[in-house]
Amino acid sequence: MSHLSNPLATAEQLYQKTSTNALPIELQDSIRFYTARLTQAAGILLRLPQDITAQANVLLFRYWLVDGLLEHEFSDISAATLYLTAKISASPRSLRSITNVYAYLLSPTPSDPESYYLSESSYISFRNRLLDIEGHVINALGFNTHVALPHPLAVTYLQTLDVFSLPGNKGKDVAKRTIAYLNSALLSPQMLYLTHQPASLATAAIYLAAREIRVKMPEVEWWEVFDCEREELGFLVVGMGSLEGVARRGREVWGEKGWISREDINGELVKLGVNIGNGGQVEDEEAQMARLLDEKVGDA
Amino acid sequence: MATPIQHASPQSNGVSPRAFAAQHARLPNNFRGCSRITDYDILGKLGEGTFGEVHRAKSKKTGTIVALKKILMHNEKDGFPITALREIKLLKLLSHPNVLKLEEMAVEHHSKSSTDKRKRAIMYMVTPYMDHDLSGLLENPSVKFTEPQIKCYMLQLLEGLRYLHDNKILHRDMKAANLLINNKGILQIADFGLARHYDEPVPVAGHGGGEAHRDYTTLVVTRWYRPPELLLHLRKYTTAIDLWGVGCVFGEMLVGKPILSGDSDPNQLKIIFDLVGTPTEETMPGWKSLPGAEGLSFPTKPSTLWPRFSSYGSGAISLLSDLLKLDWRKRVNAIDALKHPYFHTAPLPARAGDLPTFEDSHELDRRKFRGQKAAPPPAPKGGTVGMGPTGGWGEPNGNGNPGFGPPNGGYGGYRQHNGSRYPQSGYRNGVPPPPPQEERRPAWRRDDGRPSGLPPRPPPVDYHDGRLDRPDGYRSRSREIERPPQRNRVGAPNVDTYIPSYGPDSARRDDRRRRDDRDDRRHHDRGERERDRGLDYDERSRSAITHSRSRSPIRERDRVREREPLERERDRDRDRDRERDIYRR
Repeated sequence: MSHLSNPLATAEQLYQKTSTNALPIELQDSIRFYTARLTQAAGILLRLPQDITAQANVLLFRYWLVDGLLEHEFSDISAATLYLTAKISASPRSLRSITNVYAYLLSPTPSDPESYYLSESSYISFRNRLLDIEGHVINALGFNTHVALPHPLAVTYLQTLDVFSLPGNKGKDVAKRTIAYLNSALLSPQMLYLTHQPASLATAAIYLAAREIRVKMPEVEWWEVFDCEREELGFLVVGMGSLEGVARRGREVWGEKGWISREDINGELVKLGVNIGNGGQVEDEEAQMARLLDEKVGDA
Repeated sequence: MATPIQHASPQSNGVSPRAFAAQHARLPNNFRGCSRITDYDILGKLGEGTFGEVHRAKSKKTGTIVALKKILMHNEKDGFPITALREIKLLKLLSHPNVLKLEEMAVEHHSKSSTDKRKRAIMYMVTPYMDHDLSGLLENPSVKFTEPQIKCYMLQLLEGLRYLHDNKILHRDMKAANLLINNKGILQIADFGLARHYDEPVPVAGHGGGEAHRDYTTLVVTRWYRPPELLLHLRKYTTAIDLWGVGCVFGEMLVGKPILSGDSDPNQLKIIFDLVGTPTEETMPGWKSLPGAEGLSFPTKPSTLWPRFSSYGSGAISLLSDLLKLDWRKRVNAIDALKHPYFHTAPLPARAGDLPTFEDSHELDRRKFRGQKAAPPPAPKGGTVGMGPTGGWGEPNGNGNPGFGPPNGGYGGYRQHNGSRYPQSGYRNGVPPPPPQEERRPAWRRDDGRPSGLPPRPPPVDYHDGRLDRPDGYRSRSREIERPPQRNRVGAPNVDTYIPSYGPDSARRDDRRRRDDRDDRRHHDRGERERDRGLDYDERSRSAITHSRSRSPIRERDRVREREPLERERDRDRDRDRERDIYRR
């Protein structure tokens, strides 16, 4: 069984969906980073085990290589992948919980409970959107919902390297940093989980963590034991370390915003003077009227 | 000289294990969408009716013949049916020559012009096309299994099952109808609709199915293949339940028809005990304390396995009795069964490639011959696929993912919402009884102009009266001795009650779903109410309905439903008492 490996993105997929996209690469990065972060936050609030949140983010990135980035509202696609991943796991979450958590995360003023109250009608419309997107996701992924994660592998590797027998708490510290690097890499717009197998990701995270905690690793090329080539390791070490820059650039553009929407992207595009047709699905007047009407009825 | 095992194992059918692995490895290097239904030329329907539709089709890309199994979706409140999602995820991770492979998923989009957004796309599961299923093959009067052939199939079945169990999968619906066979002599295990991961260590040689540490739902396995511990509601069951099914299939191949075809759960227990002897503290330690054994007692009867199967030789009987052990802890596991002397003694197992080929056996063909609609088989009690009220679905944990915490409360009712195959109604077993014997003539006597490629067999002896010897339609021993290797199935009462299953999807799912539709609202309401009570409802109503089976199940069902719940409950108890009385005697 292919438990330990993942389907990887083809070069063609990566090229077509990123380089030939009319969307500036910086904005693509922002969409990936902020949406993955939203999923992560929702996973924490939903008290999902981290492996499920992680799988959801991997599925989300995979989906975006098949269908376009702007196909759905980012928060909707994030919620839908999280719902789908939890559904097939041992810790499913109800649609109600998911929608409530996202309403909370998306509310402009989380201190004010009224701002994240979800009326029955907006719940139903959110739910229907999720279920619709779910279908798009499983179709786009061809039902390949299995995701192999590097986290458990990393722990095994650390044990193999005898890291936990180090004096003091150093072993545990290295393990913590390793897991932290792996979780950060989930947010990386470089889509490291789609381009590298779990074994390599685990090895690179261990390399970074050991260097940071100043734990001496074997003198030899130990990564080769874990099926990771020197070149790949070098790439991943750089990739995993580059997230900070992405976050910083994001902050420059979006300020303190915790998440971004398609509307934000459109606004930014206007600023940049770029006009792309497919993304600007601003709600037309009629649809807006219908929605307001629905909400009225629901609240009554 | 090669040992017989290697000789007959599927890997050696001209293909080395390495080559096989190379051929069958799933390409891990991409993820792309489902293929379209238009990538296939539909060649014809293989089956329809109670279990939805299965089509034979040819891939336009590769030219291979495949089977397309439709996934029905009705009122999916929670999105894509979770049972199907799990089954697909599971199947995509499996790769073994004796396990039906899920090639891919195909989607049929509705025309863009249709404005009805509610119309969802239809999904198909694409699997290799298999010419027969074992049940259909056994039913075909022109097919007669030889001993080397049976050994060959048994080895393949056990190889497949060993692989599944080694990968921590319980199949939970082992039966002849779920074993597909192609004209190359390859047997594959299909239908993972009831399968799930199990949490315990995998079986090891010499230790049977091991011990279960947790509860699973007992509402699994089609009745005729259901092991005694499940009939007695053991919840901590092991991989041994699948081995009982293998025993039943083995017996079925020897005899030519299902060997334990009970018409109700109590009756099933009775005929099991008639065959392998009544349970004692020695043959089935602790059976008295099983929930379903309450109030049961039997006059001690010895096993009749030897006299009944004497004509098949001591090797066969020895293997059969290892597989049909009452004590699930001592029941042989797949690893040890493969080493059984039966497979090493003459006549040695045939090579799969040397087996004769047969005319296709599919449900539609058979129905055509029969000129009447086949009655469905007794459906499994079903269960929560992969997750009962008792627990969650173990992720394929080969990667050792952490975080499969305790199951969430209330999730047991999940399946009612997604319109999955197991509505809370306990009437799933209200299967119409097989048509009365008098109206039916065995297929071999009716279909004179049948386009059979094989020479007609001499007309077999009519066993109609023989059937009366035993209530369960089992042939009497004396007849067996008169005519030892009588292997084709003749007018036994349950002969026709079979539906093939080409996909990992199963017949009952669709059947039940349809029923679910009919009174959808009701089910949902009740689903909510009954959720807390969990399986209890299922179990109780099951015992109530077994009585109405032989009459008109549908009307009976409605009648029962219309009465007050309290009254219904009382009836149920009464019915159950009545059933138990059989054993108190």
